[in-house]
Amino acid sequence: MDQLPNLGREQEMLEIMGLRSMEDLFSDIPEEIRSKGPLPLRGPQSEEEIIRDANKLLGANVDLDCRPSFLSAGLARNFVPSMVPMIATRGEFLTSYTPYQPEVSQGMLQAMWEFQTMISELVELPISNVSMYDASTSAAEAITCAVRVKSKKVEKPNTVFVSELVPPHRMSVIQNYTQGVGIEIIKLPHGEDGLLDLEKASLATGSCAVYVEQPNSFGILDEGLMSLREIVGEKTAIIVGVDVTTLGLVEPPGNWGADIVVGEGQPFGIGPTAGGPIYGIFACTKDFLRLMPGRIVGQSIDASGKTAYTLTLSTREQHIRRHRATSNICSNETLIALMGAMHMALLGPVGLEKLSTRILASTVRTMNQISSIEGVELAFPNSPVFREFAIKIPGKSEDALSHMDKLGVTAGFDLGNWWKDKSSWILVGCDERTSELDIKALKDALKSWVEESG
Amino acid sequence: MTGTIFDFNGSKEAGWSQPDPITEVYSESIPQQLRRSKLPEWPRASEPELVRHYTQLSQRNFGIDTGFYPLGSCTMKHNPRLNERIVQHPGIDRIHPLQPESQVQGLLAIYYEMQEMLAICSGMDAVTLQPVAGAQGEFTAIRCIQEYHRERGEGHRDKVIVPDSAHGTNPASASMCGYQIIEIPSADDGRIDLDALRSAVGDDTAAMMITNPSTLGVFEPEIAEATKIVHNAGGQMYYDGANFNAILGKTDPGRMGFDAVHYNLHKTFSQPHGGGGPGSGPIGVKEHLSKFLPSPIVGRREATEDEVGVADGHWYHWVTPESTIGKVQQWNGNAGAVVRSWAFYRRYGRELETMSEHAVLNANYLRHVMMNPDPDLQIHAMPIEGCPADVVKHEFTLSMSPLKEANGVTGKDVAKRLLDYGYMAPTLYFPQIVPECLMFEPTETESKEVLDKFARDFHSILAEDPEIVLSSPHTTPVGRVDEVWAARNLILRYNKSQDLS
Repeated sequence: MDQLPNLGREQEMLEIMGLRSMEDLFSDIPEEIRSKGPLPLRGPQSEEEIIRDANKLLGANVDLDCRPSFLSAGLARNFVPSMVPMIATRGEFLTSYTPYQPEVSQGMLQAMWEFQTMISELVELPISNVSMYDASTSAAEAITCAVRVKSKKVEKPNTVFVSELVPPHRMSVIQNYTQGVGIEIIKLPHGEDGLLDLEKASLATGSCAVYVEQPNSFGILDEGLMSLREIVGEKTAIIVGVDVTTLGLVEPPGNWGADIVVGEGQPFGIGPTAGGPIYGIFACTKDFLRLMPGRIVGQSIDASGKTAYTLTLSTREQHIRRHRATSNICSNETLIALMGAMHMALLGPVGLEKLSTRILASTVRTMNQISSIEGVELAFPNSPVFREFAIKIPGKSEDALSHMDKLGVTAGFDLGNWWKDKSSWILVGCDERTSELDIKALKDALKSWVEESG
Repeated sequence: MTGTIFDFNGSKEAGWSQPDPITEVYSESIPQQLRRSKLPEWPRASEPELVRHYTQLSQRNFGIDTGFYPLGSCTMKHNPRLNERIVQHPGIDRIHPLQPESQVQGLLAIYYEMQEMLAICSGMDAVTLQPVAGAQGEFTAIRCIQEYHRERGEGHRDKVIVPDSAHGTNPASASMCGYQIIEIPSADDGRIDLDALRSAVGDDTAAMMITNPSTLGVFEPEIAEATKIVHNAGGQMYYDGANFNAILGKTDPGRMGFDAVHYNLHKTFSQPHGGGGPGSGPIGVKEHLSKFLPSPIVGRREATEDEVGVADGHWYHWVTPESTIGKVQQWNGNAGAVVRSWAFYRRYGRELETMSEHAVLNANYLRHVMMNPDPDLQIHAMPIEGCPADVVKHEFTLSMSPLKEANGVTGKDVAKRLLDYGYMAPTLYFPQIVPECLMFEPTETESKEVLDKFARDFHSILAEDPEIVLSSPHTTPVGRVDEVWAARNLILRYNKSQDLS
């Protein structure tokens, strides 16, 4: 066992304590609840054997990079610069805990303060925390936060309006986080064109908050959202979920009235990693600062007046406020946020703009090519899209995707999994790495299915 | 180093080199009103500048790799580098959670193995790996318990009992589910007060949340009686697995009578803490709660002839529990943390018991050498024990009250002075029921020599001129940081105007 420095020295240590055996250390556990016999598990392995098994198991997976892949639906098949995992996993970062002792945690604290600044700049809101678990928990806690801030000031306390296009798995997280504290969620309808129904959105006036996403689940960039402030009035909080990679081209919600911006940080910093660890961003205006969830780093001074960094506003948090805390969050996703900060810093403003442009170009190119297939229709032909677009096909998406999978193409996501009436819709996801060859493979595969099934 | 990343302000044209877009982007692709008017003020830096910036930052940060990290209740054990190597494999890094089952058989097999292993170690019947942190595991389990009561027509049960020594996340998590919290006092020795529990339970009790060993590092010998009291009142017992590192193979929450438990893969199973996360907080439950688990979990069946999978004769698949509470994280949990912890588990297998033995050995040994200083040392005041137990489990508390009374040096001062000696401070002022509390958890991965030296250094601090301790730390990158100043001034991001002041 190469992980235990005191192996073989047990007796020596026990004798110093005046004990005879390891069993003496467990004499306080009553006999009735003691385990009988060894754990019924496999035997230990060496590093060499574990690597062998890991390669066998993980090698059996079909990764997104080994074939043309058009699966996005909330995560990005991104490219992460080599520096990011290499430097972020330096032991001093990787093996540290929450920086409760700021004097020996200045590195991570400063990096997180810089992260807060970069997120703040990205979405144009003054305040950011150091991450939530993912986009869904960010959205859910933004809603509970908005209710805490707004409930006593509005005509419809404990009421929040949420876009009906929020995908069911994200909606389910929101339901779990809001059901116990008596928040009523009312769905905001979208029109035939996939855009938010602005007339109906006025029903949200007087409620605690509205939650919308830009782009929405069909990849649609909805210009109408920019009039939300005018529609719902000053008192209702506007919460916007964003795809962070749009923001090199698209006006950030902080500039059109959003109070809280949330979203999936993953495209900056880490691969899709089978869904985690990733990180949620959470940024807001000053009104929400004292009731927001998560850790926040502030600048300060040390005993000699030198600039220093420290966690601040901790009195919101569970370890101090216990059941009156603004959230139960303790462990967050700091290390992944650090990777995000490095990635954002490497990109720089111009790199960000170029990244957004590349994704947009891939989306437009793929959309034009796919929609030219006879029998395939764009679900929303007149709406601007980013990263994703929905198509309608003549038959079951499930069958088409399975057919294309056999041809070596991961062609997208079956929207019937989210909405039963859309079982012939496919959500096609593009990214900066989508190539002409990928698009051709997708087009050929889809065409062959349409021809065969027709 | 006093600068920030925003000091890098290179060429306006600079930016990460990327291939060109595959096609020209026409301006009509995004309506004019939607277009970003001004790019974010991010740094404009080259890779060499950034590598150096972050390397220098890392040198101002303390991790387990840097030195002894006896932070109680956090289980700061060594993080094997094998785990980091494995998660760079494209078969985990480049996997999308919505890929079809046929494309992720290896990942599902790992999930299945981890579900089984955690169920065995804890005496539970079913496990989900979805919760991504311990606190989220608590929240998830309490949600399952909530639905269980509702289904039985007992939705009126609206109270959750927690001891006053519980982790803050326990009451916070239950509160997020809408429960009222009933806090019961601990007995004088820090153990659970059964009389207080008896008078707290009733037909409004939904659950009790407790960790064992307790946050004082002491095993609750009467835990079986406590579970009986709560069960007789119709409540469910929830086990906070933060202290699981102490008991693997010795006992388990199932035997103690618990109905639900969370595990911290970032504590017991060595997922690195990463400066505050990511974590992973799977939960295990007994049969009667299993149908409420979040969706999906992994099941398996015999493979058919044309199903190759991972060539173990099985086909792995996602399963939606019958009355699932839905999702607590959008995808299937922190898969990367699960894979790291799988690699850690494989290293020990059934010898996880040896791991726990060494964690407990080290904690008791450290407590012994700290409580028995060299008689020649002129120590100002010896700390009293937080708890008069003969043996502790994986961690223990010491009260610095006698020292504070002797010369005004507080627990916090001692903690800060330990930083000067090259150690991370122990957990400070928790649990709150111990005055001037310091909590130490050495874990199984520290050698006897490190523990001996730490005890000697601790005793030197007790013998030092109080002025030196009161004004510590002296040798750290910055001196004692003014937390009040930070909260008063709230400088939460970089502003150009600051540079002018």
